[in-house]
This record gives sequence, C-alpha cells and structure tokens, in this order.
Amino acid sequence: MKLTKTKTFPYWKYIIVCLLFLVMLPLNAAGIVSGSTLLILGTVIFYAVVGVGMNILLGYSGLITLGGAGFMGLAAYLSGFCSTRLGLPFILCLVISIAVPTVIGLGIGVVSLRLEGFYLAIATLGIGEILRQVFVEFEPFTNGFSGMRAAYPKLFGIVLTREVTYAFYAIILLIVMILVHNIVNSATGRALLAMKGSESAAQAMGISLLKYKLIAFAISTVLTALGGVMYMHLIKYSYPTVWGLGMSLNFLSISVIGGMQTVLGAVLGALFVIAVPELVIKQLPVIGTLTGVAYVFNGLFIVLVLLFYSDGLIRIGSDVKKLVGKIRGKKNDIDQRSGT
Amino acid sequence: MTLTKEAVHKESPDLKEGVLLECRDISISFGGIRAVSDLTFDVRENEVYGIIGPNGAGKTTVFNIITQFYKADSGAVLFREANGNVIDLVSLKTPQVVRKGLVRSFQNIELIRDLSLADNLLVGAHIHFETSVFSQMLRLPAARREERVLREKAMQVLSFLGLTDRADQLAAGQPYGVLKKIELGRALLSDPRLIILDEPAAGLNDTETEDLTGLVHAIKKDYNCSILLIEHDMRFVMDICQRICAMSFGKKLAVGTPEEIRAHPAVQEAYLGEE
Ligand SMILES: Nc1ncnc2c1ncn2[C@@H]1O[C@H](COP(=O)(O)OP(=O)(O)OP(=O)(O)O)[C@@H](O)[C@H]1O
Ligand SMILES: [Mg+2]
Repeated sequence: MKLTKTKTFPYWKYIIVCLLFLVMLPLNAAGIVSGSTLLILGTVIFYAVVGVGMNILLGYSGLITLGGAGFMGLAAYLSGFCSTRLGLPFILCLVISIAVPTVIGLGIGVVSLRLEGFYLAIATLGIGEILRQVFVEFEPFTNGFSGMRAAYPKLFGIVLTREVTYAFYAIILLIVMILVHNIVNSATGRALLAMKGSESAAQAMGISLLKYKLIAFAISTVLTALGGVMYMHLIKYSYPTVWGLGMSLNFLSISVIGGMQTVLGAVLGALFVIAVPELVIKQLPVIGTLTGVAYVFNGLFIVLVLLFYSDGLIRIGSDVKKLVGKIRGKKNDIDQRSGT
Repeated sequence: MTLTKEAVHKESPDLKEGVLLECRDISISFGGIRAVSDLTFDVRENEVYGIIGPNGAGKTTVFNIITQFYKADSGAVLFREANGNVIDLVSLKTPQVVRKGLVRSFQNIELIRDLSLADNLLVGAHIHFETSVFSQMLRLPAARREERVLREKAMQVLSFLGLTDRADQLAAGQPYGVLKKIELGRALLSDPRLIILDEPAAGLNDTETEDLTGLVHAIKKDYNCSILLIEHDMRFVMDICQRICAMSFGKKLAVGTPEEIRAHPAVQEAYLGEE
C-alpha cells in the first residue's frame, strides 16, 4: 500500500490550483473576469504564499508569530528600493529582499524562541510594530507616510505586464506549494510535528528543539518575505500603515480558516479572507457599504471554523470523500491523511 | 562533540566488564525534597533490568536523570558506547543522549497524534536521517533513498509488532495497547543498545501483557540490546527481569534476582507499608 502511495504523483492538486488561477487570464481577455477581480486574485496568490509559511509555524511546529506583517513590509520596501532606486534586476531584488528579513528574523529568533506561547506572540508582535515604526521614521529609505512606489517585475530586461505578472505569481505559488509539500512530508516535517506534538518525545528521539524552531521560523520568514516582494510588484505601492497588526492577523486567519496543517489550506484560507470580502461581501447591498465589514466577516468566520471545523475548510474535501466512502461501505480505503 | 569525547576519554571513567550503564551515587532534590538520594545500580549488556517501588518512589525521576531530562545534583551516569568508550551522560544535552545508543519511552504515552503509525516510528529514526533540509525539500536522490530505506525499516518493525495493517492510520484514536507498542517500536528504530521503558505494561490487559512479555524477549534476542524498565505489575517484572532494583523514597532498598527481591524483608515492608 505504501509503495503504490509513494509512486503516485503527489503534486496534481497543486498543479490544478495553479491552472485554476491561470485560467482566469483567458477569461479576463474574453471580458468574463474583470481586471480588478484579476488583481484581487493576484493578491490572493501572494497571501497564500505567506499563508503556507504561517502553516509551517502554526500547524506543523506549534509556534506563533504576530510580527509577520513587519517582515513582509520590510521585504516589500527592500524590493521597492532595490528595483526603483538602485535599478537592480528583479531576481537580485528578490534575493536581497528575502535574505535580509530572514537573517534579521533568525537573529531575533535565537533570542525570542526561548519564549513560548503567549510570550512568543507578544514578543513577535513587538518586533512587528518596531519594524512598522521604522517604515514611518526611516524616510530616506521608505518615503515615510508618502509611501514608496514600484513597478511590475522586470525579467530579462522586460517589464512584465499585469497579466504576465499574475501568471508569474501563480507559478511561484505552485513552486512554493511543491517545495513545502516535500518538506512537510520529509524527516524535517516529521521533526516539526514531533516538536509540536510532544517536546519530550522529540528530544528523546534526538530532535533539537532550538534547531527545528529556527528552521520553522526561517522557512516562514522566507515565504513571508517572498510574499512582500510579490506584494510590492503587483500593488506597486507601499506605505507604513499597511504593515500593522491587522495584516498579521490576516495571516493567522488564513492559516486557521484554511487548515493550518496543510499546504493547500493556505490557498483556500487566502481566498476566504481576501477574495470573499472583496468580491462577495462588499457587493452586497447595505452590508457591503459598512466600513470594516471584512474584519467582522473574518472574525465571525474564524469563530465558526474553530467551533465546527477546527481542521480548517480544507477538510471539507476529505470529509465528503469519507462520506461517499461510508455510503459505499469502503471505510478502510480512505487515506486519513489526505489534505496535506 | 569529538572534543568532549576526547576529554571524557582522558578521564576515562571505568565501567566493570560487561556493564552497559551505571548510575553512580545520583541524587536530585526538588525544593528540599530529595526525590533520588545517592542511588547506585548498573545494567549489564543484554540484560533485562527492572526498577520497582511504590508510587512517588522516584523511579521516573531516575529515568529522567539518566536521559538528561533532569540534571542530577550530584553523581554520574556512565554509559558504554558501541565503540567501547565510556562516557558520563551528564555532560550531554537531552537530544544527544539517543545518539549514544540509549532511548526511552514515557509513562504517559508521548506519541505524535497527527502522524501515522509508520511516521511515528520514523520519528524514532530521526538520528539516522543525514540529508539536509534542502535535499529533502528538492527530493534529491540521496534524500529519497534515505527515506525509502528507513521507511522499509519502520515497516519491518511494524510487522515485528504485528501492526502492519495499521501503518498508514493516524496515531490519534488508536487503542491503548497499540500506542504502547508503537512507543516501543519507535524506540527500536533508533538502533539502541539500551531501551528504557517507563511502565510499559501499565493499562494493558492480560493478553496484551503476555504479548509484551514475548516482545521484550524477542527484542532482547533479535535487537541484541538491554532493557531497563519500571513496572508496577509484579508478575510481569518477576517474569521478565534478570535483576531488579527496589526503591522507596528515593533510596535503594535492595538489588537482586526476582527471588531475592520477593523474599527481601525491606521490600516486603515497603510494599506492605504502602497498603
Ligand atoms: N519536576 C519535578 N518537580 C518537583 N517535584 C518532582 C518533579 N519530578 C518529580 N518530582 C517528585 O519526585 C518524587 C518522585 O517522583 P517520580 O515521578 O519519580 O515517582 P515514581 O516512582 O515514578 O512514581 P509513579 O510510580 O507514581 O510513577 C515525587 O514526590 C514527585 O512529586
Ligand atoms: Mg513514574
């Protein structure tokens, strides 16, 4: 059973998700999907990238951060600075903008990872707020409240159009999902889950808690920073207030709503947290016009998911499968671990 | 790590021929209460050794001292490595202990609910995974080979435990007897020379306990390792152990064969006193 399982190609679901995003492009060209919808879906893509990183922390390692927005913002500003002011090629901007936050994150991590639970949440919240304050104060670099502008990514000397940027992002998401899938299904992923499940057992089996906490933070910071770079070159504008606690909480919502112990859940979570308020709720009469309706919606949704569906929306798929299996009386064939 | 090895080698703490582990005068106090007090005992190679004692005697604390979850206030925990080197485990950090060939189970089962039984066993093989996070992320040939080889080994242990059909089921929701076996199996996957079991028969029914007795004998034979266990089930302990250490209030009462322990006045008193 195991043999056949390892032989089947495990990435189809990610490829399908990527194709679903890509199929919006011809629909957009045909006038069925509007340009603003496409932009929102592009936003969903980079939030999903960050969400996958959040899942590594929250779902697989049992760690938390409320400072994600600060690191994402740092990457966004760095990438904007490198591309617009320094005129560096996109790939180089990408590398710098991911490396710097990750190094800073690891440095802070060594200290703050000795904290646990609430204390870790508060510490990371503090770090996030410090970073946001830096964006305000460090005007020569960030332009302060006036904000910083950037362009679509420039690859091989050509500035991409919005549509090509969107396609490029969908492929980045695909690569991220595949790589993270590999990690969480490897010895590293098991070590992270072991650390989350029982620190005693993990240590008894030779798993160094500090090492794996740092690995988890490194992966999540890399993906958060990647999301920041993607933000900067799709939204093309960054100002300090964006990178506050509200955004960090969005990452949490994405993770929890989608299903934190999965890779694909982040996409589902991002769709619900980012796209549904924009595309559905705000179109509703009366309710849609209220300010902050998206936050109310997200809050409500988190509570509902935690109460009734604590594994996240991603479980709906396997639950339906299970139900069908039960009806057919084939309970035993169902792989309980689907969804990762 | 080579450095500490060298340093230890220079002092070269001695262990008698055939001795695998020796706790030498270990003591620990918690807020004035001496949970373990000047305890000395040794486990020989290929021996099943039992520790018995009333609740709160300090048995689990001894295990925590040996596996470096607690640092002894004083005393040494000497262990003979596979290459014959003798080291004092007290100089190690907790996760390093298993790399020396000594692995433990827990009194309250500590398995990973979110992992399948096979994957839980693979957690036990953690020290044998040598490829980097990057090669695992990219599924490079070396990482895939390593995963395949160790997964096969996990499957062998599962079949040894008679749990092959449950390999892909999650640990969450498994019957207690299965969980106990998986904890034992997880320990086996580290290729230990000494397995330390904290109440392996607790909560098992008679058939399951019999099963466990068979397993312990088979492990001793097939895996060529020693077993140190804590147990309240007297019949099981007497059945299975070559030697037993009885303790009470952190102190050693007696060491001997099952017959000697059963007949020992101090042991009888400690147990009668408890009732
Ligand atoms: N971390 C700790 N902090 C404070 N006291 C502790 C700690 N660990 C153990 N003790 C105390 O040490 C004593 C011995 O406990 P231990 O768990 O070793 O007993 P035990 O022999 O394993 O008992 P049982 O058979 O009930 O498992 C107890 O009084 C316990 O309260
Ligand atoms: Mg105990």
